Amino acid sequence: MRDADLKALTGLCAKCGTCRTVCTLYPERKAEIAVARGKIALIEAAMSGEDGDAEAVQEALTDCLLCGRCERACPNQVLVEEIVMKGRADLAEEIGIPAWKRVLFGKVMTSAAATEIARKAAAAGQRLLPGKIPTASGLHYRFPDGFGGGGRTVPKLPAIGFLESLGKGEAAAGEVMLFVGCVFDHVFPEVGRAAYETVKASGKSVAVFRDAACCGLPAMVSGDRRSATSSAEANVSRLRAADPGAIVFPCGSCLLMFKRNVFSLIPKGTPMYDDAVFVADRAVDYASFLLSSSVLDRLPDPPPGKRVGEIGYHDPCHLSGTLGKGPEAREVLSRAVGPAFAEMAGADLCCGYGGTFNVRDYPTSARIGENKVTVAARGGTKMISTACSGCVLQMRDMAARTDPSLRVVHIAELVHQALFRK
Amino acid sequence: MNPEALSALGNLYGDRLRTSLEARICYSFDATGKQFLPDAVVYPVTAEEVRQTVLLANLHRFPVVPRGAGTGFSGGSLPVRGGVVLSTERMDRIVSIDTENLYAVVEPGVVTGTLKEEARKKGLFYPPDPASLKFSTLGGNIAECAGGMCAVKYGVTRDYVLGLEAVLGTGELVRTGVATAKGVVGYDLTRMLVGSEGTLGIVTRATLRLIPLPEAAATLLALFHGNRRSAEAVNAIVAARVTPSAMELMDRTAIDCVQALMPVALPEGTGSALLLEVDGPEGQVEREADLLTEVCRAHGAIEVRRASDARGRDDLWKLRRSISPGLRRLAPVKLNEDIVVPRSRLADMFDFLADLSDRRKLRIVTFGHAGDGNIHVNIMISGADADETRRAEEAVGEVFRKTVEMGGTISGEHGVGISKAPFLEMEVGPLGVAVMKRLKGCFDPNGILNPGKIFLDEAAVRG
Repeated sequence: MRDADLKALTGLCAKCGTCRTVCTLYPERKAEIAVARGKIALIEAAMSGEDGDAEAVQEALTDCLLCGRCERACPNQVLVEEIVMKGRADLAEEIGIPAWKRVLFGKVMTSAAATEIARKAAAAGQRLLPGKIPTASGLHYRFPDGFGGGGRTVPKLPAIGFLESLGKGEAAAGEVMLFVGCVFDHVFPEVGRAAYETVKASGKSVAVFRDAACCGLPAMVSGDRRSATSSAEANVSRLRAADPGAIVFPCGSCLLMFKRNVFSLIPKGTPMYDDAVFVADRAVDYASFLLSSSVLDRLPDPPPGKRVGEIGYHDPCHLSGTLGKGPEAREVLSRAVGPAFAEMAGADLCCGYGGTFNVRDYPTSARIGENKVTVAARGGTKMISTACSGCVLQMRDMAARTDPSLRVVHIAELVHQALFRK
Repeated sequence: MNPEALSALGNLYGDRLRTSLEARICYSFDATGKQFLPDAVVYPVTAEEVRQTVLLANLHRFPVVPRGAGTGFSGGSLPVRGGVVLSTERMDRIVSIDTENLYAVVEPGVVTGTLKEEARKKGLFYPPDPASLKFSTLGGNIAECAGGMCAVKYGVTRDYVLGLEAVLGTGELVRTGVATAKGVVGYDLTRMLVGSEGTLGIVTRATLRLIPLPEAAATLLALFHGNRRSAEAVNAIVAARVTPSAMELMDRTAIDCVQALMPVALPEGTGSALLLEVDGPEGQVEREADLLTEVCRAHGAIEVRRASDARGRDDLWKLRRSISPGLRRLAPVKLNEDIVVPRSRLADMFDFLADLSDRRKLRIVTFGHAGDGNIHVNIMISGADADETRRAEEAVGEVFRKTVEMGGTISGEHGVGISKAPFLEMEVGPLGVAVMKRLKGCFDPNGILNPGKIFLDEAAVRG
């Protein structure tokens, strides 16, 4: 590891230990290697030419949920997420992708059609994916071969995805672009549908981004810089060409990719930088878009006294934490469901998904996730709403493990219900 | 370390013994910025494991370095002579909180803030509050006799340690002290262990005194033209017979370096600030807060602000707590000293430091617990300029000499560790050092526990 950028980033760490207080993983591991300053010390040692075991460093860097809590708590604002992702990418280039991830890699996810084929193959095969995905996609990182063991509840893939359900020529062009994301297209198409219908209710013309590549975050967090860059470039150039006034993201992680992470793949000085800025400037989370439009004014008054305080909101780490978009979703919920919404116990606890982390260490991911939903349920929440695909996947699984009566939805579904209530 | 010793540790700890380079790197540092690689890391979960470890260390002659959260500023948990880092982070249970006799029994790895919070839930208060309280451990706090912001009113860690269970350097498990308010039977071994920096024993359990939680608190920020003015206000407050629970001073540079994290609007001419807190019964807090405001204004405060709610108080405290790590933004290396002078000499000390900064051409940032005369003097250097480093080291010597001359002490709460070992004799004298060494021999005849600390060890000081 000889990365000058990385050195500048790690140099700010004073090893004070603040990261130990907020790390989602530390209570599970109870070892320095789990927390940011430990990982930074390892990277520093590797950069200074310490003759260590690169695979062990890689393993340590992989053992992180990228929830970003350390970064937000850090008195020196050390950019831990970026450091960990850069470290993973550097090591992937030096010694290759970790063995457990190798099966997930290879092809570049630049084609929506490829994801489509994958989903269909999986649905037709009646079991989730094993051996059935011919081409890599964002889903490929989430449901790798062999996935589904260990008591996991795997969502049953629908026969028809959201994009596929659109009529020919429907939502082909418009001033607002909807970036649905792999999961809300293929796994939970009802969320894609709800987001689409409710954004359309703004009265603006809405285009659905059909030739979207995967947002690239799964590849990026896996250290696959090449695939991530290729996804990012494909998306940015297509989005720039479409020239929308706003790009709406129902998924917080996809949004993070275009708001922030894209700039470490397409940095200042590269030919596509201005286009990436164009996209970032227009990228907006679903809730903020609704608040900026007249959609919510069209909502009927929520039924009073029904299910008071039973609906909570889970803060996705990337959306509420890194991007600071937490109040917006709550505002939307208050308007859509009224007093049924109440602040949920442990709202800002990480769900434990962590993208590929869930694949790599399901038992730990599940312990963190079970605690998350149990705290919420004990506090009286009967339905958890959120705004990130990974959190929906994880918490539905966790609810199934702990309390099957606990429902997990995307806020768009609640807005949709309220808007089109009969 | 010899393979036999490692294999014995392996038998004892199983996968809680770590010897990979990566695992060792993660226990090679603390907040001093220095690094020393241990040969192994162990994570005991019982006192018996700690005892067995020290017995093995005596047999195979390897150093054992106890470590809590590794947040110290004097190198107390650095394995300067290798050996085994014994991390207490998995001995992290609060065993009990006795609400009738007002004490808590804890394992050493409990984070200080966790005990404070659990005590608070029962209407009780564990006062010691080092800036690192959210992550430093009680075991580490006891070993270093950590202080904090509220020492001016409530004292420091040693004032809350009633009794200890500890493994001595011989591998014997000793119980010291009491679980009562009083106790004078024999020598005070508890106090002997508190602040001994892990060189005499490894605390495996502690009985800590709790007090009733104050009903209310008020927090104020008073802005002054300079440190001398702030120091004068501190003395005026004491003279007005108010004892705030905190009187924290920050110079302008200290405030500026956390501005990026949390912007504070500063009126023109602000050169120094006092963060003041009073606690107690509601009515009294109101009266005292008003009095503090008056006294500060009468002593040249440009502005006095009062936090209006809990959130505002938290923000002010966050500002204060962020300074120390935030200094990293100014320069890569800080020589961080925590001298104490009699409160009445504070203003003179600040003048001396300003003059020193000019004379030696060094950037010096000062902040800290002005209420008890404990000032954090941070000399910020690049670490790459040999001449600057030499000037800084000489300046540290000057600061210490001046401190002792004023009747103060060279470390209020960080401990000696490796950072202040060269100056130990300057303060306690040759006989003091000799007596301390004799005591060390009683507790740890083979020099197993945390070697290279407190007493001068050239190899360790160089780092």
